[in-house]
Formats: sequence, C-alpha cells, structure tokens
Amino acid sequence: MEIMRNFPCISIILCMCSAIVSSALPGKWARRLNVTIVLAVITLSGGTLVYSLAKGYETVYKMGRFPAPWGNEIRFGVLEAIMALFFSGILLLSVLGGSKKLKEDIDNFKENLYFVLLDLLLSSLLALIYTNDLFTAYVFVEICTIAACGLIMASERGRAIEAATRYMIYAQIGSGLLLFGLCILYDITGHLLMSNIKTQVIILASSGQYHIPLVISIVFIGTGLAIKSALFPFHAWLPDSYGYSPVPSAAILSSLVSKGYIFLLLKIFYRVFGLNIIQESHLFNILLIFGLAGMIFGSVSAILEQDIRRMIAFSSVAQIGYIYMGFGMGIRSGMVAAVFHIISHAASKSLLFISSAGLTDASGKNKTFKDLTGAAYRNKIAGAAFTTGALSMVGVPLFSGFISKLLFAKAAFETNAMTMVATLVCLAISTILNAVYFLKTVARIYTPATTEYETIRFKDNIPFGVACILFIILNLILGLASDPLVEFINRGLMMFS
Amino acid sequence: MFGNLITNFGEAVAVLLFVIGFKDLLLQKNLIKKIVGLNFMDSGIYLFLAEKGYIAGRVAPIVTDGVTEVTKYINPVPSGLVLTGIVVSVSSTALMLALTIRLYERYHTLNMDEISTIIKKGEIE
Amino acid sequence: MINFNMILIASFLFPLLSGVLLFAIKEQADRKVTFAYTGLSLVITGVLNMILLFADSAEVKLITLMNGIDIVFRLDTLGKYFMGIVSLVWILAGFFSYTYMKHEKNEKRYFAYYLIVFGVLNGLGAAGNLITMYAFYEFMTLSSFPLVLHNQKKESVMAALKYLFYSFFGAYMALFGLFFMCRYCRTLDFIPGGVIDQVAMSGHETLVLVCICLMIMGFSVKAGMFPLHAWLPAAHPVAPAPASAALSGIIVKGGVLAILRVIFYIAGPEIIRGTFIQYLLLTLSLVTVFMGSMLAYREKVLKKRLAYSTVSQLSYILFGIALLNPAGLTGSLLHMAAHAFIKCALFLSAGAIIFNTGCTRVDELRGIGKKMPGVIWGYTIVSLGLIGIPPTGGFISKWYLASGALSSGIKGFSYAGPIVLLISALLTAGYLLPVTINGFFPGDDYDYENHKTIKTSFYMIMPIIVLAILSVLIGMFPNGLTEFIGSITGEIFNTGF
Repeated sequence: MEIMRNFPCISIILCMCSAIVSSALPGKWARRLNVTIVLAVITLSGGTLVYSLAKGYETVYKMGRFPAPWGNEIRFGVLEAIMALFFSGILLLSVLGGSKKLKEDIDNFKENLYFVLLDLLLSSLLALIYTNDLFTAYVFVEICTIAACGLIMASERGRAIEAATRYMIYAQIGSGLLLFGLCILYDITGHLLMSNIKTQVIILASSGQYHIPLVISIVFIGTGLAIKSALFPFHAWLPDSYGYSPVPSAAILSSLVSKGYIFLLLKIFYRVFGLNIIQESHLFNILLIFGLAGMIFGSVSAILEQDIRRMIAFSSVAQIGYIYMGFGMGIRSGMVAAVFHIISHAASKSLLFISSAGLTDASGKNKTFKDLTGAAYRNKIAGAAFTTGALSMVGVPLFSGFISKLLFAKAAFETNAMTMVATLVCLAISTILNAVYFLKTVARIYTPATTEYETIRFKDNIPFGVACILFIILNLILGLASDPLVEFINRGLMMFS
Repeated sequence: MFGNLITNFGEAVAVLLFVIGFKDLLLQKNLIKKIVGLNFMDSGIYLFLAEKGYIAGRVAPIVTDGVTEVTKYINPVPSGLVLTGIVVSVSSTALMLALTIRLYERYHTLNMDEISTIIKKGEIE
Repeated sequence: MINFNMILIASFLFPLLSGVLLFAIKEQADRKVTFAYTGLSLVITGVLNMILLFADSAEVKLITLMNGIDIVFRLDTLGKYFMGIVSLVWILAGFFSYTYMKHEKNEKRYFAYYLIVFGVLNGLGAAGNLITMYAFYEFMTLSSFPLVLHNQKKESVMAALKYLFYSFFGAYMALFGLFFMCRYCRTLDFIPGGVIDQVAMSGHETLVLVCICLMIMGFSVKAGMFPLHAWLPAAHPVAPAPASAALSGIIVKGGVLAILRVIFYIAGPEIIRGTFIQYLLLTLSLVTVFMGSMLAYREKVLKKRLAYSTVSQLSYILFGIALLNPAGLTGSLLHMAAHAFIKCALFLSAGAIIFNTGCTRVDELRGIGKKMPGVIWGYTIVSLGLIGIPPTGGFISKWYLASGALSSGIKGFSYAGPIVLLISALLTAGYLLPVTINGFFPGDDYDYENHKTIKTSFYMIMPIIVLAILSVLIGMFPNGLTEFIGSITGEIFNTGF
C-alpha cells in the first residue's frame, strides 16, 4: 500500500523518460511506447486515487527527501488523482481516434517527434497537477506551452504555423505575467512551496502588510493563467490553433492543455491564497464577468462560423467561460461545478473534435457546412459520436453536459442575488445559443445530399470507431452516474483547503 | 514614496523593462520585434529577482577563503531561479525564432498582420 | 399477481428498443415484413399500456443522476389517461401509415422513429418527477424531429429546424424555471396539489411566480400558444400525413401534459389562483383560440388549415386549465381526448385525400365526397365533433369548459371565455364544413361525366372510421370517462386545501 505514494512521481518520470527514448525510435515504436506509457499512467493514477481515497487526507511526497522549505514537493489528494486519471484517459482516446488522421498529416520520418511532444505534454500536465512548488509549476507550464505549440504546428502547413506563432505570443504574455506574479509572491513571502507560502500569506493578510504587492501578484497570476487558458477576451489564438492543427492535437489542446492551466489556477486559489483573500482582491468578480461574457460571445461567434472545426473551437471559448463562471462565484459548490465541467467538457469536446474529423473525411476533407451535408450517412459512427457530443454540450438530460449545468445552477443559488440572476440568465442564453449551432450542425450532417463523397465504414478505421464508442460511453457514464464523481471532487476540494 | 523609489531603483528599472517588453510583445507587428520584446520582458523579471536576492555588501555564495558563515553571502535561491528562468526563456525564444523563419520562408514578410491577410486571401497555402 | 413495475418500464423501453432494433435490421425487400414488425410492436405496447390502466400503482426508480435528482417513473391517474390516449391514436395512425407510406421513401427510418417516439411518449406520461419529465420532453422533441423532415425537401428541413429551435427555446425557458424549483420545492416529485415549500417561498413569492410562469410559457411553446405558435403551422403540414396526425393529435398534448404537471402537481392551483399567471394564461389562451380559428378560416391549404385549427383547439384546453376549477379541468381533459381523436382523424382524412387524389388545397376538393364517400363521412362526423355539436365528444368538453368559466367567477373572463369559445366554434364550422359541403354538393357545373369513385384502402379508412366512432362515443357515453377524470380532479382539488 505504502508503495503507492510513489506513483505520481513515477508517472511523471516515466513520461519524461519515454519522451527521451522516443526521440531515438522510429515512428511506429514511438507510438507503441506512448500508448504503453499512457496506459501505465492510467494504472498509476488509478492506484493513486485508491490510495488517496483510503488515506483520506493529502499525501506530501518529498523529492529527494529534502525537508520542507528547501526541497521540492509533490502533494496529492483525491482531486489530483482524478484529474491525472481523466487527462491520461482522454489523451489515450484522442490519440487512438486520431491515429489514422495523424499519419496523413505528418511526415513519416517525423512521426516519432509528435509522440515525443505528446509524452512531454503529458509529463508536464501531470507535474502541473501534482506539484506543490510554484516555480516548478512555472517551468512545467512553459514545457507544456512549448509541447502544445509543437502539437499545433505538427502538420507544418502555413495556417498551422501562423496559428502556432499566435499561440506562442499569447502564451508568452501569459507566462510573463505568471512569472512576475510568482516573483512578487516569492519576494513578499520568501517561499516557493505552496503550503509555506500560504502560512506567510495568512500572516501578511492579517497584519495588512504588503497589501498592494499581494493583490498585484494575485491579479498577475490570475490573468496570466487566464490568458493561457483562453478566457475571453484573450481567446484570439484559439480558433486558429484548434481549427488548423491535426485532429488529435486539437482534441488534446482543447480538453487537456487549457484545463491543465485552469487546474493550476484552482490549486493556487486554494493552496496558496485561500478563497477569502482572493475574494477580497475581487479577482473572482473579474473572472465571473469575463466568464459570462465569454459564454455569450463564444456561442455567438460559433453561430456565425462556417467551418466545423472553428465552430467547435469557438464553442470551447464559451465552455471555458462556464468554468471561469464557476470559479467566479467564489464558493465551494461553484468550484465543484467548475471541476466537474472541466472533466465533462474534456470528454465531450475531444469527442466532438475526433468525430468532426471523421465527418470531414467523409466529405472530401472539406470543413465547410455545405460539404458536410449528409456526412453522418457516409460515416455512421462519426455521426453518432458527433450527435452525442452535441447533445451533451447542449445539455440534454442523461448526458454529461446536463449535470454540469445543474451543478452550476445549484451553485448559483448560494451566491448573492446579483450574481445568481446574472449567472442563471447567461446560462440560459448560452444554452439556447449552444442549441442553435450544435443542433443546426446535427441537422445538417443528417440531411441527405446529392454530392457523392466516399463512404467510410467502421472497419475502414477501427481505432477511430473504438475511440468514438468509448468516448460516447464515457459521456453517458458522466451523465448517468455522476454522483460518485461529484462526491470525489467534493472530497478532493475538502482536502485542498 | 519617492524615497522608496530611489532606494529600490533596481526594481523600478526591472518593472520598466517588463512593461516595455510586455508592450512590444503585445503591440509590435514585426515578429522579430515581438521576440525582442519577449526577451526584454523576461530580462526585466530576472533583474527583479536578482535585485531581490542581492543583499548589499555580501558576495555570491561560493566558499573561497574558508568563510562559511551564512551572513557573509547573499540568498542563492533567486539566482537559481534566474538561471532556470533563462533556460526556459532561451528555449521559448528559440522556438519563436524557428517559427518566424518558417513563416518568413513561406510568406516573405515578418509582419503578422500581412501574414494573416495573405492567409485569408488564400494565396499561399 | 402481475408485476406492474416491470410493465411500466417495458411500456416505454420496449417500443424504444424495438425502434432502435429496426434501425439495425437490414432494409427488407418486402415492406410487409417491416410493417408487420412495427404493427406487432405497436400492438404489444398498446396491450402493455392497457394493462397499466388497471394497475393501482407502480413506481420505479431507474437511476440517480446526482444527489437528490433521480430518474423516477410513477404511474398516476393523469399519466394513465395520457398513455391511454396515446396508445389509441398511435396504433391507429400506425395502421394508416401502412398504405400511406407507400409513396414515401425511407419507410424503415419512419417506422423506427415512429416506435421510438411512442416509447418516449409513454415515458413522458409515466415520468414521476420534474427532471424525468423534462428529459423525456427533450427526447420527444428530438425523436419527433426526424418525422417532421421525413421527405427531406428544403421546405420540410427548414420547418423541422424551426420546430426544433422553438421547442428547445421553450424547453430551456422551462429548465431555467426548473433550476429555481429545485430550491423552492420540498421535492420535485409530482404530488397532486403541489409541492412548493411554503417556508422557503416566503419572501420570494414574486420570484417563484415568475419561475412558474417561465415554465408554463416554456412548455406552452409545444402546445402552440400565442406568441410562440409559429412553428406549428409550419412543421405539422410538411410531415407525412400519419406523422402530422400523430404530431397534431399527440405530441402537442405532451406540452399540455407538462403544463398540467407544473400547475397542478408542482405549483399547486392555490399558489397560482388570482395571480398574474392565471390572467396571463387566460388572456393568451383566449387570444390564441380566436386567432387560430381566424387564421385557419383564411388558410387555403387543407393541412395548414388543420394545423391552425390545432393551435386554436389546444388553447381551449389551456383555457380550461387556467380556470383552475374542477369543471374547467374536466373540460380540458375531455377535450384533450376528444381533440386527439378528432384531429388525428382529420389529418388522416387529409392524408387519404392527398394519397388518392394529390389535392392539397381546399378549393380543389369539390366533389371529393362523391369520389371518397367513406373518408368524407368520417371527416364530417369528426368535424361536427370539433365544432361541438351534440352528441359528439367536442360538445361535452366545451360544455364543461363553458360551465367552468361561468362558475369560476373571475371578473371578465367568466363571460368573455364562453363568448370567445362560441365565436371560435362558429369559425370552426366555417373552416371545416366547406370541405364537406363542396365535397357532397359540388354544384351544378360539376363534371359528373368524368366522375368515378376512388377505392380507398382498408388500412386507410379503418382508422378514420374508428376514430370518428370513438369521438362520438365520448359524447354519447361520457360517464365512464368523466368518472375517471373525476378521480384526477378530485385528487388535485381535494388535497390542495
């Protein structure tokens, strides 16, 4: 049992090592190694979850056994384990679903590099999830950004490179702000470990010392991570990056990379500052306003979009708005809803990206709605998968999206009247807008067309079909049996504070 | 107020550098200028960290004359952070430059807006 | 002892699954096989529903979505009543489809969705709490959507999208109210007389009323109430005739059922009585009654005329509900059954006319009574029923509605109601009877030389005649039905005090 406390550290190191090894392997073997490693990480994360649940409080793991203020630490509880489990699982399914598409997009001799980047990305995400050290977090944020940039431009087409550049510029602005915020925080507290900072921050807050630097650092860290996770109005890089990158990259970026930063922000809220201090700095109000604006704006942009991939990308802007709205409520149940939405959105958005690739394949690689007419008949499994994802996004009962909407609405009741009304009204408007563009697309792909594109059957692309089916099942499970997950998230957040 | 500014002029300069770099990264059209801005911004932060780690009259924590008292040396952690940060910023600068070269080879311009217009018109894939 | 719980589950799961199974079966060369399968499934489901009519109680908790929110099915008198009407109409219209669908393509898909919608409607009737009902309400929209756009012409796709967006808009309005109800209700289960928590409500009366109003308005979109009725005349006529019969006869009643559930089983009549909700509902329904009749009177295309007539007739039902007294409610429930049978028969006659002659406009129907006497006799009998001429079903229901209005004592409405109903009845005669009159008495200039009787298929004429007989039987022997309805109204109005 005690050996399980090493699992998080092992899983990070495994991913890093496999990245190094993959760089020397041919593409096929790199892929196999990647799948093996991800499966191993899933197992290890499962073990960590079991261990944390049994233990009931957080585990602190000292790297190299150096004691607290000097050494580097890993700190994990139920929530971290769940996140690691879901992230690695969704990564596996996305790669599985997009594997055939990947071969078309990437030069054969560069395939292994793609998997190097994937391994690096997973290791940095795991490190972001588990680490208890702010500067380590910063370093891994950068690794994550660089790996993600590589994933975007993997196809080496003009638009992809342009999108990657745009992504890098925004990401660097975000990192700069984050790093500056961390430096100020380090200067006023003298620590880098989250738990040590928190004790100092509480002392500072109660004595009123260094009030302005504290607020500045909160705002810088919050804004930096918000930019990196594409909160409206910093989303300009997002549609292009998701729209023109290879499909698995888009699925992974939308469901994992931005979520990794959001999770780090959540950890900083709880572990570094504590909700009360953030509340006083009014960061929550800022996030709430931008989250609500993003919900509406993202949906409106998605309605106007003619390209299916970009439409899904704009829908991500809206969904990230939902998550920040949950944060912005500034209460426990809002956070629970936000964390649940991180997971549920990851499950349905990656499904949408993967299935949209199946649909475009059945429409002569065209991504405009005109060509997609009737695509669901030419690729049945992709049509079913897209419909599932769309229904989940729209929030039809029995799918995961409905549960997150219910959780958000329930949380809204615990806030003050202004926030409650604003939240619920925006939730309703955004849901209707969601319904407009997703159901329009579903109707479109199920409208028979006269244009003859080739039909893709299940056995033509078995990994894709399997991934779609697994994703559909995942969405249904999240929608039908969300209780245990919500309970785990609750427990995990309890361990946080 | 201004007294603080004078004693902490190092930090003030660092913040100024950060702001200049931030503005360049955000607003410059030229990609190379953007990258220069990025480096300005990062340097500003490193200067800030180094300033904060430095204690007047002390030396870097390298034991030379057998002096081992802590009070003789500066805080080594910020220096370590600066080194790590430099590694990170070097790699992201390298990546940005590589991307810039790719874009220039393809579109023969460094202006981000012009590249966008070319792509939108669909002249070069 | 029969296990009613299992039958309750089977009554909606069996048609659902058999519909899904029909998708999986390969397209049969002989359409009789497909139809035999569908017919058998319809009859079995009908039998299951008939058995349930004799059940005392049945309750099944299927799954828990999240803490405190379950998917529950519970059989109560209102649900039984609804399921009974659904089964009769659905089976008869199903038999009509056998002949009618000969000249449409994609029969298999039509029958599959036809079965699925049947299952969903049974689920809607049996739903035991608000969340379950909401879920099945959404499914009802989604699964009936393919029926509307069945012929996949541009016109029908646009109409179907209009239907979808209107319905979803309404559903989300209802969902918005539902979020609030989670807070102000003791439970979301349907209990006659309402479940509003008086303690939680005190101080928030306006908010609760606004939310109830939103829910009613949202569900009334499906029931075609002004101002959100525009989808109905667009969507109903474009569907294949048996589908429009089912849509106009039954699906719209889904909206009525939802409103009944909200008013009498969630809010409770006492909370609504005398508030703006009652006046709003009364006003809007009377406006719709009049406006629907006027529009129907001016419409030249037969199926559209019938659709406008549905708009008008449904608001009779809503008017009766809004009176909030036993007589009005009895009238509403009677009219629910009468209108279901009558409107189904009317649409089926229209379908039979279109199938055999290809005529769609009313002015083309001169002499139709000479060509298809059986169909037009059926049409005439049910028309008289809809106008409200004794001894047909429409008379009894309108009698109760009028007496309910007169005894309600609501200032203005108690007299305005019956007057509007009377005017509307005259208009109904004005728009329905010309078909009969011109049909049987085409005038002297009619070309008797080329006249020949068209032989109508048994499968077409049988459902029309059966429905006509049913509508007359309701009027002639209403005692059994009124007793049953009496048990519903008794439940609602006795426990409310």
